[in-house]
Amino acid sequence: MGLIARALELAGTATVIAANNPGRTRITAPPRVTFTPLPRGATLGAPGDAAQQRRILKATLELLAREAPLKPVYLDERG
Amino acid sequence: MDILENKTQWQKQYHDNFLEHYHQTGSLDWRQYPHPRNTRAPAGPGIDLSRSRLMLISSAGGYLDGAQEPFDAAHPLGDYTIRLIPSSTPLEMLAFAHDHYDHGAVDQDPQVLMPLRHLEALAGEGLIGEVASQTVSFMGYQPDVGRVVDELIPPILETAAAERIEAALLIPT
Repeated sequence: MGLIARALELAGTATVIAANNPGRTRITAPPRVTFTPLPRGATLGAPGDAAQQRRILKATLELLAREAPLKPVYLDERG
Repeated sequence: MDILENKTQWQKQYHDNFLEHYHQTGSLDWRQYPHPRNTRAPAGPGIDLSRSRLMLISSAGGYLDGAQEPFDAAHPLGDYTIRLIPSSTPLEMLAFAHDHYDHGAVDQDPQVLMPLRHLEALAGEGLIGEVASQTVSFMGYQPDVGRVVDELIPPILETAAAERIEAALLIPT
Protein backbone atom coordinates (compact mmCIF):
# COMPACT_ATOMS: atom_id res chain seq x y z
CA MET A 1 0.00 0.00 0.00
CA GLY A 2 2.88 2.36 0.72
CA LEU A 3 4.07 2.25 -2.89
CA ILE A 4 0.57 2.91 -4.24
CA ALA A 5 0.20 5.88 -1.90
CA ARG A 6 3.54 7.23 -3.09
CA ALA A 7 2.53 6.86 -6.74
CA LEU A 8 -0.77 8.66 -6.21
CA GLU A 9 0.78 11.46 -4.16
CA LEU A 10 3.44 11.98 -6.84
CA ALA A 11 0.61 12.19 -9.39
CA GLY A 12 -1.10 14.94 -7.36
CA THR A 13 -3.62 13.00 -5.26
CA ALA A 14 -3.52 13.43 -1.48
CA THR A 15 -3.30 10.02 0.19
CA VAL A 16 -3.62 8.49 3.61
CA ILE A 17 -3.25 4.88 4.78
CA ALA A 18 -5.03 3.27 7.74
CA ALA A 19 -2.71 0.42 8.69
CA ASN A 20 -1.98 -2.08 11.41
CA ASN A 21 1.43 -3.32 10.35
CA PRO A 22 3.95 -0.57 11.14
CA GLY A 23 7.00 -2.65 10.25
CA ARG A 24 6.28 -3.34 6.61
CA THR A 25 4.36 -0.16 5.80
CA ARG A 26 6.70 2.34 7.46
CA ILE A 27 9.78 1.25 5.51
CA THR A 28 8.05 2.04 2.22
CA ALA A 29 7.86 5.73 3.33
CA PRO A 30 4.23 6.63 2.52
CA PRO A 31 3.13 10.30 2.69
CA ARG A 32 0.54 9.95 5.50
CA VAL A 33 -0.34 6.92 7.62
CA THR A 34 -2.05 5.93 10.86
CA PHE A 35 -1.17 2.75 12.73
CA THR A 36 -3.16 0.76 15.25
CA PRO A 37 -2.19 -2.43 17.11
CA LEU A 38 -5.33 -4.15 15.78
CA PRO A 39 -5.02 -7.65 14.31
CA ARG A 40 -4.49 -8.41 10.65
CA GLY A 41 -7.85 -8.83 8.90
CA ALA A 42 -9.59 -6.24 11.10
CA THR A 43 -7.79 -3.03 10.16
CA LEU A 44 -10.60 -0.66 11.14
CA GLY A 45 -11.61 -2.42 14.34
CA ALA A 46 -13.77 -5.16 15.71
CA PRO A 47 -16.56 -6.56 13.50
CA GLY A 48 -19.85 -4.90 14.37
CA ASP A 49 -18.15 -2.08 16.29
CA ALA A 50 -19.20 0.76 14.00
CA ALA A 51 -18.13 3.36 16.56
CA GLN A 52 -14.54 2.11 16.59
CA GLN A 53 -14.44 1.77 12.80
CA ARG A 54 -15.68 5.36 12.35
CA ARG A 55 -13.27 6.66 15.00
CA ILE A 56 -10.28 5.13 13.17
CA LEU A 57 -11.57 6.31 9.81
CA LYS A 58 -12.08 9.88 10.99
CA ALA A 59 -8.68 10.04 12.71
CA THR A 60 -7.07 8.75 9.51
CA LEU A 61 -8.96 11.04 7.14
CA GLU A 62 -8.08 14.07 9.30
CA LEU A 63 -4.46 13.70 8.18
CA LEU A 64 -5.46 14.64 4.62
CA ALA A 65 -5.71 18.26 5.73
CA ARG A 66 -2.01 18.28 6.58
CA GLU A 67 0.92 18.76 4.24
CA ALA A 68 2.90 15.59 3.50
CA PRO A 69 5.18 14.00 4.41
CA LEU A 70 3.95 13.44 7.96
CA LYS A 71 5.43 11.29 10.67
CA PRO A 72 3.26 8.17 11.20
CA VAL A 73 0.43 8.72 13.68
CA TYR A 74 -0.19 5.92 16.20
CA LEU A 75 -3.82 5.54 17.30
CA ASP A 76 -4.60 4.24 20.77
CA GLU A 77 -7.12 1.54 19.79
CA ARG A 78 -7.58 -2.00 21.08
CA GLY A 79 -9.14 -5.02 19.42
CA MET B 1 11.28 10.92 -6.65
CA ASP B 2 10.68 7.25 -7.43
CA ILE B 3 7.82 5.02 -6.32
CA LEU B 4 10.49 2.52 -5.31
CA GLU B 5 14.02 3.76 -4.73
CA ASN B 6 16.68 1.48 -6.22
CA LYS B 7 14.09 -0.52 -8.15
CA THR B 8 16.64 -2.15 -10.48
CA GLN B 9 18.76 -3.29 -7.56
CA TRP B 10 15.65 -4.59 -5.74
CA GLN B 11 14.57 -6.57 -8.81
CA LYS B 12 18.01 -8.14 -9.19
CA GLN B 13 18.00 -9.25 -5.53
CA TYR B 14 14.47 -10.61 -5.85
CA HIS B 15 15.14 -12.51 -9.08
CA ASP B 16 18.61 -13.79 -8.18
CA ASN B 17 17.71 -15.05 -4.72
CA PHE B 18 14.02 -15.34 -3.78
CA LEU B 19 12.61 -16.15 -7.22
CA GLU B 20 15.52 -18.36 -8.23
CA HIS B 21 15.09 -20.37 -5.03
CA TYR B 22 11.39 -20.75 -5.78
CA HIS B 23 12.04 -21.94 -9.34
CA GLN B 24 14.62 -24.44 -8.15
CA THR B 25 12.75 -25.84 -5.14
CA GLY B 26 9.07 -24.92 -5.58
CA SER B 27 9.06 -23.37 -2.11
CA LEU B 28 9.28 -19.77 -0.87
CA ASP B 29 12.15 -18.86 1.44
CA TRP B 30 11.13 -15.59 3.11
CA ARG B 31 14.57 -15.27 4.69
CA GLN B 32 15.78 -14.40 1.17
CA TYR B 33 13.03 -11.87 0.49
CA PRO B 34 14.28 -8.28 0.04
CA HIS B 35 11.66 -6.12 1.77
CA PRO B 36 11.20 -2.93 -0.28
CA ARG B 37 12.54 0.19 1.44
CA ASN B 38 12.41 3.88 0.72
CA THR B 39 14.32 6.57 2.58
CA ARG B 40 12.15 9.61 1.76
CA ALA B 41 8.38 10.08 1.56
CA PRO B 42 6.85 12.25 -1.17
CA ALA B 43 5.68 15.76 -0.41
CA GLY B 44 2.14 16.90 -1.13
CA PRO B 45 -0.22 19.66 0.00
CA GLY B 46 -3.03 19.10 2.47
CA ILE B 47 -6.57 19.28 1.14
CA ASP B 48 -10.02 20.30 2.35
CA LEU B 49 -11.67 16.88 2.42
CA SER B 50 -15.13 18.40 2.77
CA ARG B 51 -14.68 19.80 -0.75
CA SER B 52 -12.85 16.80 -2.23
CA ARG B 53 -13.67 13.58 -4.04
CA LEU B 54 -12.20 10.55 -2.27
CA MET B 55 -11.59 7.03 -3.56
CA LEU B 56 -11.17 3.94 -1.40
CA ILE B 57 -8.39 1.50 -2.27
CA SER B 58 -8.53 -1.86 -0.52
CA SER B 59 -6.08 -4.76 -0.57
CA ALA B 60 -8.50 -7.18 1.10
CA GLY B 61 -9.13 -9.18 -2.07
CA GLY B 62 -12.75 -8.03 -2.35
CA TYR B 63 -14.75 -8.79 -5.50
CA LEU B 64 -18.39 -8.94 -6.58
CA ASP B 65 -19.57 -12.42 -5.79
CA GLY B 66 -20.90 -14.11 -8.93
CA ALA B 67 -20.16 -11.12 -11.17
CA GLN B 68 -16.36 -10.87 -11.10
CA GLU B 69 -13.51 -13.37 -11.19
CA PRO B 70 -12.05 -13.94 -7.74
CA PHE B 71 -8.37 -13.13 -7.30
CA ASP B 72 -5.91 -16.01 -7.67
CA ALA B 73 -5.55 -16.28 -3.91
CA ALA B 74 -3.55 -19.51 -3.93
CA HIS B 75 -0.87 -18.36 -6.40
CA PRO B 76 2.49 -18.50 -4.60
CA LEU B 77 3.76 -15.46 -6.53
CA GLY B 78 0.61 -13.35 -6.09
CA ASP B 79 -2.03 -11.70 -8.27
CA TYR B 80 -1.36 -8.20 -9.69
CA THR B 81 -4.80 -7.43 -11.12
CA ILE B 82 -7.47 -5.08 -9.80
CA ARG B 83 -11.28 -5.17 -9.61
CA LEU B 84 -13.42 -2.04 -9.70
CA ILE B 85 -16.34 -2.30 -7.31
CA PRO B 86 -19.16 0.27 -7.37
CA SER B 87 -18.95 2.12 -4.07
CA SER B 88 -22.73 1.75 -3.66
CA THR B 89 -22.46 -2.07 -3.66
CA PRO B 90 -24.52 -3.75 -0.91
CA LEU B 91 -22.08 -5.30 1.55
CA GLU B 92 -23.66 -8.74 1.19
CA MET B 93 -22.59 -8.80 -2.48
CA LEU B 94 -18.90 -8.67 -1.52
CA ALA B 95 -16.73 -11.76 -1.33
CA PHE B 96 -13.04 -11.94 -0.45
CA ALA B 97 -10.32 -13.99 -2.17
CA HIS B 98 -7.07 -13.63 -0.23
CA ASP B 99 -5.30 -16.52 1.49
CA HIS B 100 -3.01 -14.45 3.70
CA TYR B 101 -5.27 -13.21 6.50
CA ASP B 102 -7.97 -14.62 8.76
CA HIS B 103 -11.38 -13.88 7.20
CA GLY B 104 -13.26 -14.26 10.49
CA ALA B 105 -13.75 -10.52 11.00
CA VAL B 106 -14.44 -9.53 7.38
CA ASP B 107 -16.95 -12.37 6.93
CA GLN B 108 -18.90 -11.03 9.92
CA ASP B 109 -18.56 -7.38 8.93
CA PRO B 110 -17.00 -6.34 5.58
CA GLN B 111 -16.62 -2.78 6.88
CA VAL B 112 -13.60 -3.79 8.97
CA LEU B 113 -11.72 -3.71 5.65
CA MET B 114 -14.08 -2.11 3.09
CA PRO B 115 -16.04 0.66 4.85
CA LEU B 116 -18.38 1.52 1.98
CA ARG B 117 -21.34 2.50 4.19
CA HIS B 118 -19.18 4.45 6.64
CA LEU B 119 -17.71 6.53 3.81
CA GLU B 120 -21.20 7.20 2.43
CA ALA B 121 -22.29 8.32 5.88
CA LEU B 122 -19.26 10.59 6.31
CA ALA B 123 -20.05 12.16 2.94
CA GLY B 124 -23.64 12.63 4.06
CA GLU B 125 -22.37 14.38 7.18
CA GLY B 126 -20.20 16.70 5.07
CA LEU B 127 -16.80 15.44 6.28
CA ILE B 128 -16.07 14.06 2.79
CA GLY B 129 -17.11 16.12 -0.23
CA GLU B 130 -17.90 13.11 -2.39
CA VAL B 131 -17.04 9.42 -2.59
CA ALA B 132 -15.79 8.17 -5.98
CA SER B 133 -18.24 5.98 -7.84
CA GLN B 134 -15.73 3.10 -7.96
CA THR B 135 -13.65 1.47 -5.26
CA VAL B 136 -10.33 -0.12 -6.26
CA SER B 137 -9.80 -3.63 -4.95
CA PHE B 138 -6.84 -5.98 -5.20
CA MET B 139 -5.33 -8.89 -3.30
CA GLY B 140 -2.47 -7.58 -1.22
CA TYR B 141 -0.16 -10.53 -1.61
CA GLN B 142 2.34 -9.46 -4.25
CA PRO B 143 5.91 -10.37 -3.49
CA ASP B 144 7.25 -8.99 -6.82
CA VAL B 145 7.41 -5.26 -6.15
CA GLY B 146 8.66 -4.66 -9.69
CA ARG B 147 5.36 -6.03 -10.94
CA VAL B 148 3.50 -3.88 -8.39
CA VAL B 149 5.10 -0.80 -9.92
CA ASP B 150 4.75 -1.94 -13.55
CA GLU B 151 1.40 -3.82 -13.52
CA LEU B 152 -0.67 -2.97 -10.44
CA ILE B 153 -0.09 0.75 -10.01
CA PRO B 154 -0.77 1.97 -13.61
CA PRO B 155 -4.45 0.88 -13.69
CA ILE B 156 -4.93 2.37 -10.22
CA LEU B 157 -3.55 5.70 -11.46
CA GLU B 158 -5.80 5.46 -14.52
CA THR B 159 -8.83 4.84 -12.31
CA ALA B 160 -7.87 7.77 -10.08
CA ALA B 161 -7.65 10.03 -13.14
CA ALA B 162 -10.95 8.76 -14.59
CA GLU B 163 -12.66 9.30 -11.24
CA ARG B 164 -11.16 12.81 -10.99
CA ILE B 165 -10.32 12.32 -7.34
CA GLU B 166 -8.43 14.70 -5.09
CA ALA B 167 -7.89 12.17 -2.29
CA ALA B 168 -7.43 8.45 -1.69
CA LEU B 169 -7.88 6.34 1.44
CA LEU B 170 -5.85 3.14 1.36
CA ILE B 171 -6.76 0.28 3.68
CA PRO B 172 -4.48 -2.76 3.85
CA THR B 173 -5.40 -5.95 5.67
